[in-house]
Amino acid sequence: MAKNKKKLLIFFTLVCLPAFLIISPDWLKINGITPCWPVIVLLPFSLKNCRWRSIIASILLGFFIDSFTITNASYIPSLFLLSLVWSQYGLHNKKIELFLNIGLMAIFGAAFVGLSIWAQKIFIYSSLRNNWFHSWSIYILISEAIITGLVAPFFSSWLLLAYEKN
Amino acid sequence: MIKARRNIGFHLLLKSRFWVIFLFIALLFAIRWTKGAGYLDFYSILLKPILPGTAQREWIKEGENIERSMRLKLLEEDNIRLRKALSLKQLNSDQRISAAVISRSSRNWWQLLEINKGAKDGVLKGQTVIGPGGLIGLVDSTTPLTSRVRLLTDPGHQVGAWIDRTKQHGILTGMGTNRPKLIFFNKKPLVKIGDVVTTSPASTLLPPNLTIGIIQFVDAQALPSPYAIVQLTASPEAIDWVQILKNNG
Repeated sequence: MAKNKKKLLIFFTLVCLPAFLIISPDWLKINGITPCWPVIVLLPFSLKNCRWRSIIASILLGFFIDSFTITNASYIPSLFLLSLVWSQYGLHNKKIELFLNIGLMAIFGAAFVGLSIWAQKIFIYSSLRNNWFHSWSIYILISEAIITGLVAPFFSSWLLLAYEKN
Repeated sequence: MIKARRNIGFHLLLKSRFWVIFLFIALLFAIRWTKGAGYLDFYSILLKPILPGTAQREWIKEGENIERSMRLKLLEEDNIRLRKALSLKQLNSDQRISAAVISRSSRNWWQLLEINKGAKDGVLKGQTVIGPGGLIGLVDSTTPLTSRVRLLTDPGHQVGAWIDRTKQHGILTGMGTNRPKLIFFNKKPLVKIGDVVTTSPASTLLPPNLTIGIIQFVDAQALPSPYAIVQLTASPEAIDWVQILKNNG
C-alpha cells in the first residue's frame, strides 16, 4: 500500500504537475488565470516533513517550475520562505480534516508567491514602475489566490493523506 | 348659317377617330416632354430579372482582388529592389514556418505561447512570430520540437516600434494587459489616437513594416518621456496558428 502511495506521489509530481502547467485546462482557471501549482504541491510536503527536507524540496521545485517560465523572475525565493514557515507550522498532531485550513494556507502562499514575482519584476524592469502594470498585477494576484484557495483543498489534502499513509 | 357651323364643330368631337388622333398626338408630346421616361422606366422594369446579380458582383470583386494582388506583388518587388539598394532588412514571405499553438499562458505572470515547431524545423531564438493581425511576439527559447514565444504583452518585454504617419520611433513595452505601452524618445511625439504602429522599416532586429497595433491613448505630458497605449491588432488569446519569420534570426 505504501509503495502504491509513493508511486502515486511520484506520478503526481513528475507527470500531473507539468501537465497542469503546460496544458493549463480552462476548467481550472479563473479569469484566464491558473492556480499556483507549486504552492499546491509544496504545502502538504512541508506540513508533513522536517525543515531541511522542505527547504530542499522547495528549491528543487522552484528550479523545476522555473523551467516552464521565461527566465527572469524566479519562484525559488518565495517557495523557500514558504517551506520554512509551513514546516515550522507542521502538523504537530493537528487534525488534518481542517479542510478550509489548507485552503487558507494555500491562499496566503499563492499571494506571497505572487507578491514575490511582482516585486522581482519591478526590480528587474524599471519600465514597469507605473500604474498600468500594478493594476494588472493586483488582478493576477487576487485571481491566482482565489483559484489556488479553491483547488488546494482537493489536491493538497489528497497529497497530504498520501504523505501520511506513506 | 351659324347654327350649321356649330353642328359641324360638335360633330367632330363626337367622332372616335378625332380622339384617337388627339390621344396619339398627346402621347407623342408627353414622350417628347418627359424625354422618353416612360419607355426607359418600362425598359428597366423589363430588364430587372436579367440585371447583373450577386454572382456577377462577385466576379467583379474577384477581378478587383486579382488586380489588387497584382499591384501588391509589383509593389513588393519594387520594395525589395529598393531595400536591396539601401541594404535594409527584407521581409521575405517564402521564409515562413507555420506552427500550431500547443499551450497558451496569455494572462499570467509570464505571457507566452508554446508552439509545435522547434530547432529541428529551423526555428531560432529571437525570430519574429506573427499571427492574423500582425506581430505577436518573439521566440524566447527552443527545444528540438517546440518553441516558446514571449508575447508582446509580457511585462517588461520591449521591442522597437515605428509610427509611419509621424515617422517617429518608440519602445513598445509589455505591461501584462492586452494594451502595451509605447514610450517615445521625442518630447513632442505628435501622435494621434488611431495612428498605426508598425515595426520600423529600418529595423535590424525585426522584419520591416509588420503591423503591431493602433494607438488608443496618448499622454504627451508624461514624465520622463511621453507615452501612448497601443491596442494590438493580433489577439494572442484567440490565435491557434502562427507563422515564424525565419529571415531575422
